[in-house]
Amino acid sequence: MKKTFTSGNIAIAEGAITAGLKFYAGYPITPSSEIMEYLAEKLPKLNGVVVQMEDEIASINAAIGASWTGVKSMTATSGPGFSLMAEAIGLAVITETPLVIVDVMRAGPSTGVPTKTSQSDVLQARWLAHGDYIVPCYTPWSVQEAYDLTIKAFNTAELLRTPVIVLSDAVMAHLWEPLTIYDQGEVDIVERKIPKGVGIALPYKPDPDLVPPMPIFGKGYKTIVESLTHDERGYYAPHDNNYRALINRLNMKILKRLDYIFDYETYNCTSECHYMLLSYGSTARVTYIAMLELRRRGYNVCMLRLKTLWPLDRERLISSCRARKIVVVENNIGKIYMDIDRVFKDREVYSAPILSLELPSLREIIEVVSIWL
Amino acid sequence: MAVEVNNMHPLDKHLRLDRIPTLYCPGCGIGIALGAILRALDKRINEGLIDPNRVVWVGGIGCSARAVFYVKYDAAHVLHGRAIAFATGIVLANPELLVVVIGGDGDIAGIGGNHLVHAARRNMDMIVVMITNFVYAMTGGQVAPTTPRGVKTTTTPKGNPEPPLNAIKLVLSLNANYAARASVTTPHYIESFFYKALGMKGFRFIEVISTCPEIYGRHIGLRDPVEMYSELKKRVKYKSKPSIEDANIDWEKGIVIGEFLERNNPSYLELLREVYGK
Amino acid sequence: MVLKLNSYSKIPQLISRHQGKFRVTIIVDRCKECGLCIAICPVKVLARSSIENKYGYHPPEPLNIEKCIGCRLCEYNCPDFAIFVEKVV
Repeated sequence: MKKTFTSGNIAIAEGAITAGLKFYAGYPITPSSEIMEYLAEKLPKLNGVVVQMEDEIASINAAIGASWTGVKSMTATSGPGFSLMAEAIGLAVITETPLVIVDVMRAGPSTGVPTKTSQSDVLQARWLAHGDYIVPCYTPWSVQEAYDLTIKAFNTAELLRTPVIVLSDAVMAHLWEPLTIYDQGEVDIVERKIPKGVGIALPYKPDPDLVPPMPIFGKGYKTIVESLTHDERGYYAPHDNNYRALINRLNMKILKRLDYIFDYETYNCTSECHYMLLSYGSTARVTYIAMLELRRRGYNVCMLRLKTLWPLDRERLISSCRARKIVVVENNIGKIYMDIDRVFKDREVYSAPILSLELPSLREIIEVVSIWL
Repeated sequence: MAVEVNNMHPLDKHLRLDRIPTLYCPGCGIGIALGAILRALDKRINEGLIDPNRVVWVGGIGCSARAVFYVKYDAAHVLHGRAIAFATGIVLANPELLVVVIGGDGDIAGIGGNHLVHAARRNMDMIVVMITNFVYAMTGGQVAPTTPRGVKTTTTPKGNPEPPLNAIKLVLSLNANYAARASVTTPHYIESFFYKALGMKGFRFIEVISTCPEIYGRHIGLRDPVEMYSELKKRVKYKSKPSIEDANIDWEKGIVIGEFLERNNPSYLELLREVYGK
Repeated sequence: MVLKLNSYSKIPQLISRHQGKFRVTIIVDRCKECGLCIAICPVKVLARSSIENKYGYHPPEPLNIEKCIGCRLCEYNCPDFAIFVEKVV
């Protein structure tokens, strides 16, 4: 392993390299461009390919195509580019293509403030493409976690044959902290399943874990990558029984592995907590300090930080803490609040939406949270 | 009255027989084009130049792109207009693969126009077969970027006011290695152009002017397959070294087919090797 | 001559005739009766038959097989892989 001092963007790039990234296609967009620039230097030396495509749509489509040749591929962008990638995320879902998409959130809507932060893409990460689907979404709060969660994103993508979103933001992108970079033997790397045997393979015939082995191009499998609703062979099958089976499987293969996907951390959670602050990403850094300050002032408050935004594990969340009042602190108009409210049906859930172009200040968070305490 | 009959069409080994007959209308030119390019591919495979396991077909959305359903090879049926971008990812991640993009004029030069421009600009290693029928047929006959002025389509009921796009001229303005136009009324040219393209590197573009009796034929009054075919055949002229001015498509003056461009500039993979040395 | 094979077998129905040099075979159920092969043949070998295939189309038959010159224009211009020409050995 190697210890270094670097930024969130570089950490994501290094995480991808450790995970085995071999193809990157992207388009420059603030604040994610450094990921592509860093990989453009490093990846070719590791026999990888970096290509700057003509737009984000081409980037993600090229990344999906590359994944089908058997390599791990990734693209990174910000809010406006992420919106452009909507259709292709649906393509990756229905063709069951392992892929990592990094969205370094910035203030929107539309062009917004390219160099400043927000957390307003959190529902977009869940519901971006049309159709009934779910993709895992991770959100780091530190440089080390940006590295670790990127590796986890690749592992999740390869394990479940799905696109995975890593949600960073403008603050995380340019924040510098110590980072430990692991060698490939020191950390768990998951590779996709390949079909047993040779000859024609069915690209969408699932194993008992609901994930099909992936017959890549060039090996004589005669694969069909199909964007239409299809059967196990990849032939168009517009019938109810097939459509229901496919949609169910695409969603269940993710939800069945909530144990693996869902991750969170609690701080100072005891059986006597009255209040819980819930936060994620860069905002959680300040929320954590706010929690400590409020405890110092005598409030019995703990904190829960989501590392996985989607899918949420209802059971684990409910059993995580007994606090009766939960305040969701986020840098948007109150989005994850809606799902937390739904999950903790029998508790009081309040929203502390703090729109802030830089990290929300400690004073502001305490001021807003105190309303509910 | 010999009983020894070969019941297999010579191209059957390249087809997914469980999906034949195709979804194409009677007299649709796409089937003719597909047959011609499979014949060329068959020849190259028999010569030992191409390993069939290394061929990948990529199509977007539309009747022409659905040709990927019928070929017994690795194939991808992806998003409308994005076949070229998808194919770029394939060829860069695994340069051993031979990628053939097949699609209609709306898919490749309409919504996919930007990707066409940049793949041609880069001289990306792929063959693009664009089957032009001057209309969006699969969705019922809406105007396309290649529809000639004045034609009444479902979205231009009083006649198309727009000047059309000429894909050959577009590709000629960029850095492709090969740009040719053929017609379904001359399948031997489709075959020989594709055969040549299979032996080249870089960006190879073949436009195939096609009949479309059900949809475009309905718009211009040529519903019968034989009638539309013979009207198209009258207007198609082969020229051995056509110039860029010959590339104009004019239903009255005629459509020139032939090889507009053929050269051997470094392909994108070669340019990458120059920079990165691998 | 029509080879009507056993309907349980997977071998398709064929219409096939030869004249010593060339054999013309039509795969009956693939034909969509577009008429292109009949029109394109330079020596008028083919004519629409009265056979109705699985989809209700009437495929051609090589009525004037003795005229066939083996140019393969029918094979090349068929959009449906429904007709092919072979050299007889």
